[in-house]
Amino acid sequence: MNRSSNRRVRGWFGVLILIMTLGAALPAAAQTSVLSKPAPAENRDTWTPQRTPDGQPDLQGVWTNASSIPMERPKNLGAKEFYTPQEAAVFGKEGYRGDRAPLPEAHYDMSQFGIDPMQAKFAPNLRTSLIIGPDGRIPPMLPEAVKRNGDRAAKAKGHDFDGPENRPLQERCIVWAAEGPPMLPSTYNNNLEIVQGPGYVAILSEMIHDVRLIPLDGRPHVSPDIRLWRGDSRGHWEGGTLVVDTTNFTDQTPFHGSSKNLHVIERFTRTSKDTIVYEFTLDDSSTWVRPWTAQLVMGPASGGIFEYACHEGNYGIANSLSAARAEEKKSN
Amino acid sequence: MKMKLGAALAFLSIAAAAPAFAHHSFAAEFDDKKPIKLRGKVTKLEFINPHSWIHIDVKNPDGTVTNWAVEGGSPNALFRLGFTRDALPIGTEILVDGYQSKDGSNRAVGKDLTFTDGRRLFLGGSAPGAQGDAPEEKK
Repeated sequence: MNRSSNRRVRGWFGVLILIMTLGAALPAAAQTSVLSKPAPAENRDTWTPQRTPDGQPDLQGVWTNASSIPMERPKNLGAKEFYTPQEAAVFGKEGYRGDRAPLPEAHYDMSQFGIDPMQAKFAPNLRTSLIIGPDGRIPPMLPEAVKRNGDRAAKAKGHDFDGPENRPLQERCIVWAAEGPPMLPSTYNNNLEIVQGPGYVAILSEMIHDVRLIPLDGRPHVSPDIRLWRGDSRGHWEGGTLVVDTTNFTDQTPFHGSSKNLHVIERFTRTSKDTIVYEFTLDDSSTWVRPWTAQLVMGPASGGIFEYACHEGNYGIANSLSAARAEEKKSN
Repeated sequence: MKMKLGAALAFLSIAAAAPAFAHHSFAAEFDDKKPIKLRGKVTKLEFINPHSWIHIDVKNPDGTVTNWAVEGGSPNALFRLGFTRDALPIGTEILVDGYQSKDGSNRAVGKDLTFTDGRRLFLGGSAPGAQGDAPEEKK
């Protein structure tokens, strides 16, 4: 196996797949150590987390939420919520990417730039979709939400390169869409660090630069007149689970078409030394016919969080606008 | 404006529905109808986020030299692959297989970047001793 292909399978998920695919080619001890690892959820009731000096269950560390599991379950799977390890192995051989098709417009060789999902380190997870339950799909959108999103798209159409303000927030280095809440994996650098102090939990996302500061002192949300890119988060503990309630979103950061009335409830539960089960429920009576819940598993990330400093070299936005002007000139 | 509806709406309308977005729209910046092959010596490496840039001096058929800027991946992702900013000394000769910018300037995105002996630039141990994001030993 050459070095390049070796890197492709070095994630936990890749290791699991490799072992199950190659089977007897690997030492029996290695198979046992990986395959006997209990599924994260099985530990939930037995794992006793360490405590921070002020008594909080300890979630601290550098974690990755990388995942190749699609948000919505492929329709052909029906109500099947979990793959068997054997099925997961097949997907591994086929380069399973969930709903993350290779970037259609990327001019990169994905693996060379670390963008191939199989180069990421995944926590073990056999779910068929991040959305839990028999349906596994985002609930239908209300007519008012369909109209709202349609109007927004129609208004923006043809103007997306007018100027820097028309470019997406992530391209402008303001917020990274996947940093949430809900906090989801994206293409690369799916790393975050959790730090806890008396009265607060802080979560640093590697992409862009943001730190979520979540107060735990029971203070109310800010006034409804104040709207924030990432909403206003408040946390509390329910046993070993950190529950974070977020409201006060803007109407400029919709998540799957949500409105500024989006209400996100996240639940962080450390189920083992190497596992945090992250679950979130989205409720928006202006958007969906019912709330929906999804879950992913975070595992430890090696190395640390590296500085991203998005603005430092953000030539892309200027180059894109320059390209648009050149195209206009050509077509005139 | 005759621009196609591009990545601008990715955030506004579908957000993480297709979470495989990159930092910016490649198609907005580079032209897939302008494939380009460059061979030149590194004059500068900008190991900066959100994308690295490698500057190379390319000798033209008439003997003149043109400096090209080539976009690479996110330094953070590259670092985890074992590539550091010290991994590509000035003067190193590299080959770039990529696409030129839409505005016709001497910029390109590097689809494949290789050393002259065929080794891929960002994979294959360019940085001796650097550690990628290999799984930790289970304790």
